[in-house]
Amino acid sequence: MPFGRLLLRTSTVNKMFSRNSFIASKPDPSKPNMLRAGLAFGSTAVLWALLFKQHSTDVHEYKTRNGLE
Amino acid sequence: MGLLPDEAKVLPPPGIVNRNSVWFGLCGWATAMLHNSLNRRPALKAGVHRQALFTTVGWFIGYHLTKYENYKYATLDRDMNEYMRLHPEQFPEKEPKTFAEIVEPFHPIR
Repeated sequence: MPFGRLLLRTSTVNKMFSRNSFIASKPDPSKPNMLRAGLAFGSTAVLWALLFKQHSTDVHEYKTRNGLE
Repeated sequence: MGLLPDEAKVLPPPGIVNRNSVWFGLCGWATAMLHNSLNRRPALKAGVHRQALFTTVGWFIGYHLTKYENYKYATLDRDMNEYMRLHPEQFPEKEPKTFAEIVEPFHPIR
């Protein structure tokens, strides 16, 4: 049997990479994917923290280079 | 600064709230709301994590874009001023004219 055939199992593992009419389901809004939502909010917080840190670094660099403080 | 050289740090950094950040943030938010609409979900109340993430990504990109834009304009100004300093004969000081000399005489037709 070709090796590719072994990867085509319609099991729960493969559900993430291919949708098959035998196992597909409508997205259910009453059961939110907490991991994905948590990652989204977490990366939002990380990006804001990065932005504020970059801004304060820039302000400090500007002040030191122009001898204002 | 990944794409900015070291000399760009002399320039004053843009504020957290700046034109490009607001615009890109709004674009990100509109993208998230469009995603909701196209998937037949309520536009504002659904997928708040997505709306927050897209807005934040837009805001972040806008901030760095403003920094890049400031640097580009500053280099253009510096080059222009250097050229004007090296070629003063092409930029003579002109006497400022008063409005009385420029304006045509007024002939009322009543």
